[in-house]
Amino acid sequence: MSASKRMSSRLASWLPRLVVAPSLLIVVITVYLFILWTGLISVTSSKFVPVYDFVGLEQYVRLWATPRWHTAVANLFIFSALFLALSTALGLLLAILLDQNIRAEGALRAVYLYPMALSFIVTGTAWKWIMNPGLGIQKVVNDLGWETFRFDWITDPRMAIYTVVIAGVWQSSGFAMAIFLAGLRGVDNSVIKAAQIEGASLPLIYRQIIIPMLRPAMLSVIVLLSYIAIKSFDLVLALTNAGPGAATELPSTFMFAATFRRNQMGVGAASAVMMLMTVAAIIVPYLYSELRERDNG
Amino acid sequence: MSKFFSALVAATMLVPVGARAEGSIEVLHHWVSQSEVDALNVIRKDLEAKGFQWKDSAVGGASGANAQQALRARLTAGNPPGAMQFLGWEGVQWAEQGVVRDLNDLAAAGGWREALAPQLLPFVTSGDAFIAAPINMHRQNWVWANKKLFDDAGVSVPKNWSELIDAGKKLKEKGVVPIAMGDEPWQIGIIFDALLTDINGPEFYQKAAIDLDPQTLASPEMAKVFDTLREVRGLVDDNFVGRDWAVATGMVINGEAAIQFMGDWAKGEFLAKGLKPNKDFYCFATPGQVTAFQYVIDTFGMFTVKDENLQKAQVALAETIMDPKIQKGFNLIKGSIPARIDVSVDEFDDCAKLGYSERTAAIEKGSMQGAMTHGFAAKPEFASVFSDVAAQFFVGNMSSEDAVKMLVEGIDNAR
Repeated sequence: MSASKRMSSRLASWLPRLVVAPSLLIVVITVYLFILWTGLISVTSSKFVPVYDFVGLEQYVRLWATPRWHTAVANLFIFSALFLALSTALGLLLAILLDQNIRAEGALRAVYLYPMALSFIVTGTAWKWIMNPGLGIQKVVNDLGWETFRFDWITDPRMAIYTVVIAGVWQSSGFAMAIFLAGLRGVDNSVIKAAQIEGASLPLIYRQIIIPMLRPAMLSVIVLLSYIAIKSFDLVLALTNAGPGAATELPSTFMFAATFRRNQMGVGAASAVMMLMTVAAIIVPYLYSELRERDNG
Repeated sequence: MSKFFSALVAATMLVPVGARAEGSIEVLHHWVSQSEVDALNVIRKDLEAKGFQWKDSAVGGASGANAQQALRARLTAGNPPGAMQFLGWEGVQWAEQGVVRDLNDLAAAGGWREALAPQLLPFVTSGDAFIAAPINMHRQNWVWANKKLFDDAGVSVPKNWSELIDAGKKLKEKGVVPIAMGDEPWQIGIIFDALLTDINGPEFYQKAAIDLDPQTLASPEMAKVFDTLREVRGLVDDNFVGRDWAVATGMVINGEAAIQFMGDWAKGEFLAKGLKPNKDFYCFATPGQVTAFQYVIDTFGMFTVKDENLQKAQVALAETIMDPKIQKGFNLIKGSIPARIDVSVDEFDDCAKLGYSERTAAIEKGSMQGAMTHGFAAKPEFASVFSDVAAQFFVGNMSSEDAVKMLVEGIDNAR
């Protein structure tokens, strides 16, 4: 009796670990082991297939001497910053407007949220045609009579990265809206009532009271959108295919091309390590502060 | 793992595999369009007549890059397919890894070296070994033109690039798009490759695109190539971003655009609409001092395997591919010309005949060279630098001097 009880209590304490073990093992192998392997490849002279020699930081030197990589890094910062700022701002604005007890709110919400249901491939392909000067917006406006209207960013290497931002924001601002809307619904009405009794105007209430109360929602939006920004490989491939003339290259498209198309596995691995370090530089301090807060709290 | 992978490959197969016959060979390739599959069936039927089953593993997409990925996985798992389609340096690079079977005995017995242009040998041999059997030959530097638009504008087939540019300007005045193309780097690369040899001659192409000679790359002749490329840009409409090559071919067929620079895989689009060469459309080589023939070939290499039945099947497949009858049948469907130079093309269309005779002349004059954009000149790490610079130059407003500088630095960085 007592033996079987001990047995079952031992099982109970081991079971969670047993259940977690296979997935942990898979994660360790498929993520961390390959991170290490990529790091290893980045200090070899690998080109077509992996070779295991040691050339020091040669591939990193080569990487940073490649103009395409500089474009990719600059684009990542332009894209992520604008994509995050615009999606968040637009999402918040839409959420506040929808929160005014309007009619058909459910239908409107679905309309704004719907783009999120599309894959980036579809978004990219659709916007490729919408922004093509001979087929899309520019042609429509020209045909309506405004003949000097120009919207040909997608053909202009200096402006093309902003077309990626437009398509990305179109897709993701509805998603940000949904999270903010949920946050707004969680705001206690009595707080707003109290402020109104004190004579605060509506904009002031939003600015001083409600938006600061949305801090947790804001954090979720920023974390989720940054991760969408970093993995936006497919959007670029479908929208511009990193063109025109590599103007919309991102680190992820660079890494793929170097490793699998251009016989430069070592350079590709070096670029992957650079990406990892960039992400780590942002995530590690964040995790550190979060964990410390939890310990204190 | 490898079982799972073969199941995955089996799921993508086009041709159902019957009972695993004693002599069957799995062929990994990236030909999935209808005409490509029809052409492959010529090989398959001959192989079956010899008593061997063709086990089809088609991995389409990304110009063969996906098939290459599949091959990497198969080789890593120690389960290579019997044979594999190779483009560019792929076969040679795998041979350097020691995984490709040497077909030298067959080549000697069949007189393959004599039946092929010597310019092909770098892509089908590795050291002393003969590592791949070429089935076809495409030409990259073709011009496809709408004859009616040429006639209406009073334009004739240009003899050099300045005539071509002038013709384009005339056509533009008439309100047609002179040149139909997309902004994909490889479409721009086709024009760039042609200009390298047309403007400065085949020796220049050899030194620049194959030997990567630093002085040639930095020379004023190279700047001239970019100057002409800039003039070509002036003849392309602004909606070229993201345009597929076949859409551009359609523009020439419909009379929206006058010409397209494209390999002879574009020919099928004209013929499929019932158009006749020299009656409805023109096909001619990009105009140069010496008419160039920039080739693109598909080859099949065999992997080293232990299974003796499979080894026999590999021999049969290689012999089938190099069989003059099969090369003829295959290329009649595929739209290319036989890789062998001793196969008659009497039954082929006029464009193929023109290509064939220009190839014979080009082999003699030394102007038959590999097409860089499709991987038959410099290795990919260098060819991609050319393609980057040409594409950035084409879509932006870089000066020719800056482009040359960028090219030289880029090549040095990739060395």
